Amino acid sequence: MSLLEESEIARANRAITGLPFLPGEIAFRVLVESVQDYAIFLLGPQGQVLTWNQGAERIKGYTADEIIGEHFSRFYTPEEIAENRPARLLEVASRDGRVEIEGWRVRKDGTRFWADVILTALKDEDGHTYAYAKVTRDLTEKRAAEERERRLLAEQEARAAAEEALIARDRFLSIASHELKTPAASLRLTVDSLLRARSTGRLDDERLESGLNRLSTATSRLDTLVNELLDVSRLQSGTRPSAMERFDFVALVRDVVERFTDADDDRRIVVTAPDESWIVGDASRLDQVVTNVMDNAVKYSPIDERVEVDVADVPGGVALTVTDRGVGIDDEAVARLFEAFGRGTNVEHIPGLGLGLFISRQIVEHHGGRIQVEPRQGEQGTVMRMWLPREAGSE
Amino acid sequence: MTMCGRVLVVEDDAVLRETLEEVLRDEGHEVRTAAHGQEALDLMDEWHPELIILDLMMPVMDGFAFRDEQLRKGIALGTRVLVLSAARDLEAAATRVTADAFLSKPFRLDEVLSSVSLLLGAPGRYGPGDGTSPPVS
Repeated sequence: MSLLEESEIARANRAITGLPFLPGEIAFRVLVESVQDYAIFLLGPQGQVLTWNQGAERIKGYTADEIIGEHFSRFYTPEEIAENRPARLLEVASRDGRVEIEGWRVRKDGTRFWADVILTALKDEDGHTYAYAKVTRDLTEKRAAEERERRLLAEQEARAAAEEALIARDRFLSIASHELKTPAASLRLTVDSLLRARSTGRLDDERLESGLNRLSTATSRLDTLVNELLDVSRLQSGTRPSAMERFDFVALVRDVVERFTDADDDRRIVVTAPDESWIVGDASRLDQVVTNVMDNAVKYSPIDERVEVDVADVPGGVALTVTDRGVGIDDEAVARLFEAFGRGTNVEHIPGLGLGLFISRQIVEHHGGRIQVEPRQGEQGTVMRMWLPREAGSE
Repeated sequence: MTMCGRVLVVEDDAVLRETLEEVLRDEGHEVRTAAHGQEALDLMDEWHPELIILDLMMPVMDGFAFRDEQLRKGIALGTRVLVLSAARDLEAAATRVTADAFLSKPFRLDEVLSSVSLLLGAPGRYGPGDGTSPPVS
C-alpha cells in the first residue's frame, strides 16, 4: 500500500461519515491501521463501527468487512447489553468528552477478554458529537500476569508463615523439652537420693520429709506445665468458657493478689480498685488470666520493686491495668508476646513455656474483651491492660 | 578410692540444687551452691571450687555467659566443669562452654557421683586442680 493512496477502508469511511478526505491524513491513517496492540476505530454517533484497524481485528477477531456498519454493542456481554451499558457509555463520553473503563468484552468466537477502553467524543464546531474514537487494549495477559504474581506472592507468604510456624514449633520444642526435663530430673534425682540415703543408713525423718517435699515441688511443676499444654490444645481446638456466672471482679483480683503476696512477702503489690465491680463471665478462667498476668509482672521484675494493680469501672465493662518495673519489653517482642510459645527475647531463661499470655488472650477474647501489653512510657517496666465487657460477649 | 573436693553447684532449679548439695555432702565433698552464673562468680571471688556442676539455661546469667566471664577474668582456671542440662544438642553446648564432661537431664544419681569422682581425680583443662586434693595419675 502506498502512503499517498487513500486506503480502501478510509474511502469506505469517508462514504459513511461524509467527512472530507484530507491528503495529509494518509500517513496517520496508515499508522493507525497498522497498530497491532490496540484496537483503534471510529464509531458513528449511534454507535455503528466506521473504521477498523489491524489491532481491532487481532483483538476482537472480526475482519473490517464483517464489522464495519455493525453496532458496537456486539463487543459487549449479554449482561452489559441488558443494562444498556453501550448506549450509556456513549452518553457519558458525549457529555464528558471522554470515558475510560475496564471490563469484559466479547470476541467474535464468543470468548471474553479483559479490556481497557477509552472512548473519546469527536465534536464539530457547534459542539455536536459526530463520531467517537474508541481505543481498546487487551489486558487479559496483563491481568493474568498480575493474577499469577498475586498468587505467587500469596504462596510466598503462605510459605513464610509455614516456616515461621516451624520456627515457633522448634522454639517451643526446645523450651518445652527443657522445662519438662527439669522437673523430671528433679523427680529422678530426689528418688535416687532417697534410695541411696536408705541404703547407706542415712534416711532419717528429716531427710525423708525434705525429700518428699522436693518430690511434691517437682510434681507440682510438672502438673502446671502439663496443664498449660492441655489448655493450649483445648483453646486452640475452640472450646469456649462455659461456666458463666455473675461475680465480683474486684474480689477475684484481690484473691489473686493475695496469693502472690503469700508467696512473696517482700514484694509490694499495690491495689487500687472500687469496692466492687460485678461482671458476667467464666470466673475460674478469668482467675487464670489474672494469675498469669500477675505471675508475669512478678516473675519479670526485681524482688523489691513495686507492682501496681489498678481496677476501674469503664463504659460497658471493667478495666484492669498491671504495671511493673521489671525487665520491660521491646516493641518487636510485644507483637510476638501473645502468640503460642512467643516470649520476649530478653527473657530466654526464665522458667515456663511462654504460653501464659497466649492462653490469657484466648480466654479474654472469648469473653469479648481485649488484652494488650506495652512498655512503660519512658521508664523501665511493662504495662498490661485488659478490658472485659460487663457481660461476656456483649461488647 | 573416692576423691573428695570442693564442688560448686550452679543450678536454678531449687530441688535439683538442694538435692545435689545434700548427696554430694554425704559423699564427703565441700559443697557451695548458686542459683545462677552471677551468684557463682560472686561466690568465686573468695572461694575456688575444684569442680563446677553447671546448668546452662538459667535466669540473670546463664551457663554460657558465666563461663565466658570466668575464663575472661581468669578465675579458678584449673576448675573442672561438669555440665548438667536439658539443652538439645548438649554436646555442642558443652563444647561451647569448654566443659570436661556433660550429663543430659534427667540423669541418674550414680552417673553424677561417678562423674564427679572421676573429674576430681583428673587434671582440669587449664591446669592442675588448685585445691587440696592432689590430682591422681
